[in-house]
Amino acid sequence: MAQHAAKRARFQAVTANRLSDGEVVYFSPDNRWVEAFAMAEVADGAEAAETLLARAMPADFEAHVLEPYLFEVLEDGQAYKPASVRETIRAAGPTVRLDLGKQAEAKAE
Amino acid sequence: MYRYDEFDHKLVADRVNQFRGQVERRVSGALSEDQFKPLRLMNGVYLQLHAYMLRVAIPYGTLRSEQMRMLAHIARKYDRGYGHFTTRQNIQYNWPALDEIPDLLDELACVEMHAIQTSGNCIRNVTSDQYAGAIEGEAEDPRIVSEIIRQWSTFHPEFTYLPRKFKIAVTAHKNDRAAIKLHDIGIVVKQNDAGEIGYEVHVGGGQGRTPFVAKKMTDFVPKAKLLAYLEAVMRVYNMLGRRDNSYKARIKILVHETGEEEMRRMVEEEFAKIDASEMLTVPQEEIDRISAYFAPPAFETLPADSQAFSQAQADDADFARFVRANVVAHKQDGYAIVNISLKPIGGVPGDATDAQMDVIADLAERFSHDEVRVTHEQNLVLPHVKLDDVKTVYDALAAHELATANLGLISDQIACPGLDYCNLANARSIPLAQEISERFSDLDRQYDIGELKIKISGCINACGHHHVGHIGILGVDKKGTEFYQISLGGAADENAAIGQITGRAFTEEDIVDAIETVVTTYTDLRADGERFIDTYNRVGMAPFKERLYD
Amino acid sequence: MTDYHLVIDGATAEESWIYLDDDAALSDAPSIISLTRLKDQAYALAERSAPLGVILRADGLGKTDLGEDVRELAPFIDRLALIAIHFPAYRNGRGYSAARVLREEFNFTGQLRATGDVLYDQWAMMNRCGINAFELAADIDLATFQTALGELSGAYQPAADQNRGALWARGK
Repeated sequence: MAQHAAKRARFQAVTANRLSDGEVVYFSPDNRWVEAFAMAEVADGAEAAETLLARAMPADFEAHVLEPYLFEVLEDGQAYKPASVRETIRAAGPTVRLDLGKQAEAKAE
Repeated sequence: MYRYDEFDHKLVADRVNQFRGQVERRVSGALSEDQFKPLRLMNGVYLQLHAYMLRVAIPYGTLRSEQMRMLAHIARKYDRGYGHFTTRQNIQYNWPALDEIPDLLDELACVEMHAIQTSGNCIRNVTSDQYAGAIEGEAEDPRIVSEIIRQWSTFHPEFTYLPRKFKIAVTAHKNDRAAIKLHDIGIVVKQNDAGEIGYEVHVGGGQGRTPFVAKKMTDFVPKAKLLAYLEAVMRVYNMLGRRDNSYKARIKILVHETGEEEMRRMVEEEFAKIDASEMLTVPQEEIDRISAYFAPPAFETLPADSQAFSQAQADDADFARFVRANVVAHKQDGYAIVNISLKPIGGVPGDATDAQMDVIADLAERFSHDEVRVTHEQNLVLPHVKLDDVKTVYDALAAHELATANLGLISDQIACPGLDYCNLANARSIPLAQEISERFSDLDRQYDIGELKIKISGCINACGHHHVGHIGILGVDKKGTEFYQISLGGAADENAAIGQITGRAFTEEDIVDAIETVVTTYTDLRADGERFIDTYNRVGMAPFKERLYD
Repeated sequence: MTDYHLVIDGATAEESWIYLDDDAALSDAPSIISLTRLKDQAYALAERSAPLGVILRADGLGKTDLGEDVRELAPFIDRLALIAIHFPAYRNGRGYSAARVLREEFNFTGQLRATGDVLYDQWAMMNRCGINAFELAADIDLATFQTALGELSGAYQPAADQNRGALWARGK
């Protein structure tokens, strides 16, 4: 269920799941879908967010990803972090299995 | 247990090939996601938060050991070394890749398993009593009619695009372990005064946003007429069920909006039309053929008591506790029903690793006539264990963290995957179950508290059955933060009831303390021999509310 | 010219029917009219000798979105040569029950046609429910249609077709 960011959100990014394996992906500044939240493009303001979402959804987007949507992110020092619990979990993995998901891959690297 | 014949094998193989083609058409772009979604759902494939999820059916909760071994193999080869047993006697894998699922399904088909109709707006996996064929007092093994319903409902051409999903459960015992009154159709196998087997049919139960206990539609449908009766219920629903609002599309809403009497009248009218053709009267030879598969295994003639079993309990206090909580009397002298709790203290309710599944498969093969059962409370059962062997089985289970002696106790909780995995969830369920389990980890305290069923859902869809928990917990989302609402007094058994909400929700920090407050309120108020639910039914909500909020 | 590929009884067929709006005049051409018109003009229509068809609509009637009741066709069955069942969305499966009622309860033997959102993965189910005419997207060839119908080799249960279902056929 795509959950759209609050209208008053200042910073937003675009996420989706990859068609082939369902992996959580983010839309990057160079118009690719990347696995790491840290690589996601962050839009500042509602207008920039709509533009970002439009860029992420060309006519053939469905051949690669499912249901792209905007979500709110917050400034976190020099970086950003997802605002909601849901997006935090999507960006990391299950909180009950720290050995699985992106959080585990990050640790392994 | 039922074995596929050539026809069953061929049809499942056809289905896998069909799905392989559908996946290819989706990947090539010939199918849009909107077109593909119902097709993948009807093959059990969801898209969750981190990956696809595959739900595999375990019809009426019965597995042979080779099937359990296959589930372990799938967990290893296509997933991440574990599976999650659900409240509808399915197993879910959390990480399969879409393009590998057809191969996975091919392997499953080798052991007569599939993911057909485990999702989608069709008739889902038929569920039943995990003690079927092992417990004293059944009118007949409920798996016989469950298998007939499974076949009738598989690829039913009329009922594959229903207004909403449709769940059927069957029991043949006065103690309902299959939560039949919380299903779209709940069936009780019974014997009438003339000694004939037939079926009491309940319609319109369900949980979700608007929970209802099912209404009894008829007291007795003769054995040969059941499919005609079911088809009548289904046709009334398919023609009149709402399709404009998915929250109002289940048959429970139709029954509620139409009224029980009018619903009964329409079903009877439809039943008369369908039954007139006798087209759905299953031939006796076919009923006999299917029944033969569920004949009791070759039990040995044994004394009712086992010296070895008694001695082992005297010698080993942990084993004695296991027997007290997890071992149930079998209908055959010298045998026992052994429950395997998938709720270790601090564990994920319903999860089992590939290694654990292999161990259980081996134990079933050696000690339980090759059978394992899955329960709607997310545990497993070895249904036919000789009393002499229970200690050996226990030792093997204990070596693999499978011998937690907490069946029916406060740490034996139902929890949905929640926001850790699920795309629909508003809040996490599993961490809460883990915290509660840790808080009440002391088994002696659990025995003192007695039977207490906590059920946790991460959203209003109620996959964690919170409406029917003695204590129910519902996760809600408030501006991206998790909160938890408590309800009390629900029950999923023959006295099915929907719980009442205590009041405002609790934060993640406060919820476990609140549960403890509910429990101590009960232990303070209980009369001799009263379970939590008895005390609640006697004293009502007020004292609990007072202690929670004042 | 139609914008669909019409398949009847497993073969490509020329369209010989026209769908008539309620305010369009009736001609001698085989015509498919609405259920409303059928009921309103029952007497006038009885005078007409050309083949008559009706479309049973499944959308847009009130908050419950039920669509038209197939059993309202009962008084007219003998006069109808064609009944078109409208599938407003492939997920709306109400028409499957309508088809079976027409074939099995009313013993309707004329053309039973699926119109609307009629997609590959539903054709076999529709066929089993007694639908024998399909309005397919224009670019779908007959071979594709036949492949779809044959994807599942058997059935467990009887429906409106000749397949008795394994539960009944075993041991026979």
